[in-house]
Amino acid sequence: MSQDLTPITRQLDAITAQLAYLTERQRRQEELFSELTPVARAAMSSATAKLAELEEQGLFEYAKELTELGRQALRGFSPQDVRELGESIVAILDAVRALTQPALLAMATDAAAAIEDAGDVKPLGIFGMVKATRNDDVQKGMAVMIEVLRRVGHAAGAASTKQRELSDKKDKLAAMLGARRQKILGTERPRLLTNGSPSATAERAAPARSAPKAAPKPAPAAPAPVVIDGVAFGADGHLADPAAWRRDVGVAIAQLQGVELTDEHWHVLETARKDFEATGTSPNLRRLTEVASVTTKDLYRLFPKAPGRTLAKIAGLPKPAGCL
Amino acid sequence: MSAIPETTRKVAIICSKGGLDEAYPALILANAARQAGIETFIFFTFWGLDVITSKKVDHLHVNLAGNPASGVPTILGGLPGMEAFAAHQMKKSMEDLSLPSVREMLQILDEAGAALYACELAMKMFKRTREDLLPQVQEVITAGDFYDLAEGAQIIFT
Repeated sequence: MSQDLTPITRQLDAITAQLAYLTERQRRQEELFSELTPVARAAMSSATAKLAELEEQGLFEYAKELTELGRQALRGFSPQDVRELGESIVAILDAVRALTQPALLAMATDAAAAIEDAGDVKPLGIFGMVKATRNDDVQKGMAVMIEVLRRVGHAAGAASTKQRELSDKKDKLAAMLGARRQKILGTERPRLLTNGSPSATAERAAPARSAPKAAPKPAPAAPAPVVIDGVAFGADGHLADPAAWRRDVGVAIAQLQGVELTDEHWHVLETARKDFEATGTSPNLRRLTEVASVTTKDLYRLFPKAPGRTLAKIAGLPKPAGCL
Repeated sequence: MSAIPETTRKVAIICSKGGLDEAYPALILANAARQAGIETFIFFTFWGLDVITSKKVDHLHVNLAGNPASGVPTILGGLPGMEAFAAHQMKKSMEDLSLPSVREMLQILDEAGAALYACELAMKMFKRTREDLLPQVQEVITAGDFYDLAEGAQIIFT
C-alpha cells in the first residue's frame, strides 16, 4: 500500500512546489504593480503636462500643417516620382551637404550682402567691365564661374545625350508601330505637288485617265539666223556676221529702229566699227564716249531708248560687251 | 529682228549703304537699266546719302571687318588704316579696268536720264542740306514720294 502511495506523494510534493512558486511570482508582481503605479502615474501626469505645454507652443497646429503639407505633396507627386526621388535621394543629400559647407555658406552670405548694397553700385559699361577684370578677386571669381560654366555645359551635354537616347528608343518604337498608324492617318507617302504630274493617289483614283507622259523637252537648239533681203540676223536682232555690213544695210536697220541718220550718227557708227575692227569687241557706251569723244547725253539723244544696243545693231556689230 | 519694245519697263533702286563696294552695284544696275531702255531712278537713303554728298563721294571706303568674302579676318579688317587701304586697292583695280569713279558714274547716270533722289528723313538725320549734295540729285523726297514714283516699277534694294 505504501508502495502504491509513493508516486502520489511525489506528485503532490511537485504540485505544492509549483504552487509555492506561483504564489511567490504573484506576490512579486503585485509588489511590482504597487511600486510602479505611482511612478507611472507621475510619468503620465508629467507627459500630459509636457504635451499641454507643447500645445501651448502651437506645436500641434504646426504638426497639422505639416500633415497637410505631406498630403499636398502626395497629390502633387505620383508614386513613380517618389520612386525616382528615392533613387536620387543620395545624390540630393550629397548636393545639400556640399551646398551647406561653411565656406560656401559664408560666400553666399557675402554675395547676399553685395546684393543688399546694390543701391550704392554704379552702372557698369563695357569699358568698366574690362577695367573691373584687372582686380585679382574679380579674376579669381571669373575663373571659378568659368569652371562652373564648363561643368554645367558638360552636364547639359550629358543630359541631352540621355534625352536623345530616349527619343531614339521612341523612334525605334515608332518605326515598328508607326507604319500602320501612318497608313490609318493617310500620311504614308509625301504628296507630290508638282504641276502637271498628278499625285499617286489621284492616279489611283482615276486609272482610266492615265497621265500622259511628259514630252521630252527638245534641247534648245541655236535658232537659225533670220535672213532679210539677203542679210542674216541673229536671234538677238544683231547682224549675224559683222563683215556682211554695208552702209545701205545700216540705213535700213536704222529706219526699222526709228532712227534717222545724220552726220553725227555716222561719226559714232563709223568710230564704233573701227573700234570693233581694232579690238575685236563691240564697244560699249563708256568706250564710245572715250574713242568717239561724245558725251553719254549725246549718245542717248542720238540713239534713244537703248543707245548701246541700237547703235550696235545699226553698225552691224554684236551686242556691246560689258556692263557700262 | 527685234526692235525695242514700246511698253516701258521701270526700275526703282534703293541705295542704303555708303561703302565703295556697296555703292557700285546700285550705280551699275541703274546704268545697265538705262542702257536697256528701262526707265530708272535711284533713291539714296541712310548711308547711301554719302554717295551723293559732294564732300564724301570721292572718299567712300571699303569695309573689310565682318565681310568673310574680303579674305581679311575681321580682327585685322578693323585695324586703323585697313579701310583706307582696301578702298585704295579697289580704286586701283577699278582704274585698271577703266571703270568710272563714283562721281563719274553719277554724271553718266544723270546724262543717261536716270533720276537721282535723296531721302528727306536721312538728310535730317545726318544734318545735310541740299547744298551738300551733288548737282545731279534731282530732288529730296519722302518715302511716300518714293512709292508714288515707283508705281509700276520693279524695286531693287541694295
